[in-house]
Amino acid sequence: MTVPLQAEALDISFKLVPAIIVFLMMASFLVIGYVFKVADTEGMWVAGRGIGNIENGMAIGANWMSAASYLGLAGLVALSGFYGLAFIVGWTTGYFVLLIFLAAQMRRFGKYTAPDFVGDRFNSPTARALAAFTTLLIAYVYSVGQARGMGLVGQYVFGLEIIPMIVVMMTITVGYLALSGMLGATKNMAVQYTILIVAFLAGVYVVGFSQGYSTILPQIEYGALIADLGREFSAPFVNQPFYLWIATAFSLIVGTCGLPHVLVRFYTVRSERVARWSCVWGLFFILLLYWASPAMAAFGVDLFQTTTGASAYAAEGGMSGAEGDVIVVLAAQFANLPTWFVGLVAAGAMAAAIATTAGLFITASSAVAHDIYTELINPDATQRQQVLIGRGTIIGMGALVTVTAFNPPALIGELVAYAFSLAGTVLFPMFFLGLWWENTNRQGALAGMVLGLLIWITSIINSVLPSYIGALEAIAGEGGAIVPIYAQYVPPIGAALIGTPLVFIVTIAVSLATPEPPMETKKMVRQCHSPEPMGQQETAADVVGDNTGGGTPADD
Amino acid sequence: MSRDTPADREESTIQPDGGTAPAHEDVDYLDREVNLLRPSTPFMRDHLKIIWSSFVLWALVVFGPVTLTALAPEMMTVQTPLFGFPLHYFLVSFGAPTGALILAVVYTRYRDALDQKYGIDPDSVESTAPEAGEATAADGGVEQ
Repeated sequence: MTVPLQAEALDISFKLVPAIIVFLMMASFLVIGYVFKVADTEGMWVAGRGIGNIENGMAIGANWMSAASYLGLAGLVALSGFYGLAFIVGWTTGYFVLLIFLAAQMRRFGKYTAPDFVGDRFNSPTARALAAFTTLLIAYVYSVGQARGMGLVGQYVFGLEIIPMIVVMMTITVGYLALSGMLGATKNMAVQYTILIVAFLAGVYVVGFSQGYSTILPQIEYGALIADLGREFSAPFVNQPFYLWIATAFSLIVGTCGLPHVLVRFYTVRSERVARWSCVWGLFFILLLYWASPAMAAFGVDLFQTTTGASAYAAEGGMSGAEGDVIVVLAAQFANLPTWFVGLVAAGAMAAAIATTAGLFITASSAVAHDIYTELINPDATQRQQVLIGRGTIIGMGALVTVTAFNPPALIGELVAYAFSLAGTVLFPMFFLGLWWENTNRQGALAGMVLGLLIWITSIINSVLPSYIGALEAIAGEGGAIVPIYAQYVPPIGAALIGTPLVFIVTIAVSLATPEPPMETKKMVRQCHSPEPMGQQETAADVVGDNTGGGTPADD
Repeated sequence: MSRDTPADREESTIQPDGGTAPAHEDVDYLDREVNLLRPSTPFMRDHLKIIWSSFVLWALVVFGPVTLTALAPEMMTVQTPLFGFPLHYFLVSFGAPTGALILAVVYTRYRDALDQKYGIDPDSVESTAPEAGEATAADGGVEQ
């Protein structure tokens, strides 16, 4: 196994003030969690369904923006040039699709988690289990990118080697999670959003201003710099072909609409109208960072070239992947800003990584404890057993994520994008068809999800695993992929471009060939689209149940 | 909005229970099929019109510039007067995300107007406590 890359240009040493900033920040999350603690499950999982527009928008932003947005995005734009913009487009414009097709309808369906939706809509414990398994897989892949981001930033703040640093940071995160749970999660998310956006924008503005790049609008003033940065930064399709660009952007867009921890934000709001407006606000809050990110990348590349005297892009000796991943922190360091300020920028990255990791681990633990263990293995599970399984999942996943992050196969942003293409291939078609075509049935959903999982997993085995497993590497040879043509058209990062339409077709075809779903299920779908207002705590199943005079169908 | 007749408005008194009473017009939405390609109610037809037209605009804003760049690289990479951006870089890095935001605002405003047209007040939801037994402990309890 190779030694993981280190960001050599990063000033790695223990720094007191940044360390204090990080600790104060974590302590404040715990205090807020304690002050706004909630006691019941309704409050814990969907915040009493009473969150407003702007607050939910901020929560969407914090939940969404992880180390991949804070660090990885600028790194991708810096290292991959025009291809990096596919990530900006994919990670923002998907919210529009989410808004027009899913947000309000999901709110009306009114369940708790993504596997809940799949299980209830398709009346199938197996479908629920597949969704739970996918959720788990997404959380795992997604978290590896976060762990790597935390490790790199932790290096800057605490000055350890990267492996012990990843271990320390992941231990802190898991411990933090055990202490806080989802206590006051939404309140915390609004605070976390504020910290990360202030830290990021402060970094961009101060670096731009102090180095004479920009004054009041670095978000577009960096344009003047582009001509100096060389072809690699802006010329189209020099690093990656058009197909991969489109495939990546498409995967990230449908992935956005299929991510369990994003959808759950729409269950927390007061009404479907708030669901729509908070989606708009969420996109705006996300754009505050995404507008500024390419500016930071441009500043970083220019500063790298001035400081080290070498081109950031020379095939040998240019910027390393690890350096690209921390370009946001590096830019502040190269600009000779005070240590405490660079520490603040680093702390913002930590806030982003921790907020998202916490959300993902909670999602994963509920998928295992509730959707897999209780629903399938032991229906009589006690509260205590579930808590135990949930904690075990968090610890087990923490360990697995930590070990994988030692030697990650790709940049932070790319790792996270793998999770998106999984969500876009397996879950998005289920959400979309489940809400928009009432005749989608259990058999169709099962066939579609199995196919989606197969496409994604074979794509990963084909192009990512060979660098880990000797036997596969031998088969793969030079190109790094076992079946090069498959890797070319179904790359793990853009698997959804082929995968999602295929899953749609199979789900529809199988649904047509098998019996229609029961009327009660159809009515649930109709209720999701009815314009008539429904009670704040009501679910579509409740309404249908009231209407037909029976009880709620198979409520968990 | 001029389409509303006074009678429609009178019909539009909202029943917050969202139950069986005909809230407006005489549509029982639970009896009408949901099909993305075949809207079965006037409301759904109007809604889908907004959805599809904004979706087409969105697709153009998001995938248009990059596709043009692949087809006509010379034309798209010219330097713009605006801070010296190459055209394709500006349209993709700034234009596409901002375009999506603007379209999102436009869609949401149209959707609100649609509610008004049909006499729906989405804020009229009850804020009652959940019915007993609805919030089953099985959903949570992980970190409790």
